[in-house]
Amino acid sequence: MGEVSPIRRLRSQAAPGQGDEATRLTELMIRAGRGDEQAFGEIYDLVGGLVYGIVRKVVRDPAQSQEVAQEVFLEIWRLAPRHDPSKGSVKSWVATIAHRRAVDRVRSEQAARNREERQHRLDPPPGDEVAEEIDDRFEHDRVRRALSLLTDVQREAVELAYYGGYTYREVAALLQAPQGTIKTRIRDGLIRLRDQLGVIA
Amino acid sequence: MTDDLHHLTAAYSLDALDPHEQEAFEAHYPSCEACATEVAELRETAAVLASAVAVAPPPKLRAAVMAGIAVTRQSAPTVPDPRVAVAEIRPSNGSRSRFTGRFPPRFLALAAAIAIVAGVAGGLWATVGSRSGDPVDDLIAAPDAVTTELASDGGSSLRVVWSAERDQAAVIGTGLTDPGTGQTYELWASLDGAVAPAGLFAPVGGEVRMLLDLDDLDAEGWGVTVEPEGGSPQPTSEILYFGTL
Repeated sequence: MGEVSPIRRLRSQAAPGQGDEATRLTELMIRAGRGDEQAFGEIYDLVGGLVYGIVRKVVRDPAQSQEVAQEVFLEIWRLAPRHDPSKGSVKSWVATIAHRRAVDRVRSEQAARNREERQHRLDPPPGDEVAEEIDDRFEHDRVRRALSLLTDVQREAVELAYYGGYTYREVAALLQAPQGTIKTRIRDGLIRLRDQLGVIA
Repeated sequence: MTDDLHHLTAAYSLDALDPHEQEAFEAHYPSCEACATEVAELRETAAVLASAVAVAPPPKLRAAVMAGIAVTRQSAPTVPDPRVAVAEIRPSNGSRSRFTGRFPPRFLALAAAIAIVAGVAGGLWATVGSRSGDPVDDLIAAPDAVTTELASDGGSSLRVVWSAERDQAAVIGTGLTDPGTGQTYELWASLDGAVAPAGLFAPVGGEVRMLLDLDDLDAEGWGVTVEPEGGSPQPTSEILYFGTL
């Protein structure tokens, strides 16, 4: 870590073709916003894995994940005419909608469970579906390396919040740490990630 | 207060705020350049975290999505100058006739003001439309009606029935407390991180059953606050009821 290389490496590698993909997605979203279903199909092909992946990560249950992912895409379709490219990339917009929907699903279920104080819950039958990880080594490595530059406690807090779908207060309870501390860890960790990944909004 | 809000950008970008903090932050950040920029950047970062866990969706999902969009109407685009939009959408007095004289002119002026502020007008009209049959029942029977139970405390229950096709929603509730003199309940539609006013309602004897006419309003969730009579363009008090579609 002493050498400057990790950041430089990440930046210099800044995804060959990624800019192209972002531009392509923006063009497709503009067309989809005008009702072009074929363009929307192409968007699906480009971000379907991202949407399903993050929903699956948070929701876990495959059947529910499919339901939520489907809702996410219908929502993206509905809102496509309102997508504003000046406010960020299509991927970021799509990921925001997907993650929001996924946490809404798990939190409303949690609320329902709390209310009804139901005691048993069934785990989904195992082996029902094998999740096939999309082989995007570049993205995986890039994120793994960036995450490795966080402190352990920062990484833990960011991962529990985003992948776990927990609020920072819940993360604090899980880690038995003060809420303010967790809020700070999430903030420091995410900002560090942003700087490492060289993401430009 | 503002300092605190500034520090919520990261937790907000990860959807890690409590509902009331989220509401407060969403009311703040669009008008705060520093926060808005940081949220945009951190959302890009979050999207990279999402990309890192990408999983190929089941093949049948694509077919389901494509079939779904074929029968789903898209939202109207956001028009840059809301004043122009309101002028165009509401041709002079014609559409106003929907409002009966039951509401004071002050309310109509306010409703127009809300429309201008929000860009997505949430006008209120009471159950005056159809004299034959119960308009609420009629809405519930709409093919695309979606019912959302709003989470609430103990004794009360509140649900929102919404038909995007008809652009109407009904609020149905029991056990509601009186909002107090000079105050009213206001329904909010939440969508993509923002809220828009969806209409006002007041319980009678703790009960409400009221049809609200929306104006091309889209929603992924509903919330209810108590607001000063005439309503507010943005929530000014804590969310009392909330539910997502």
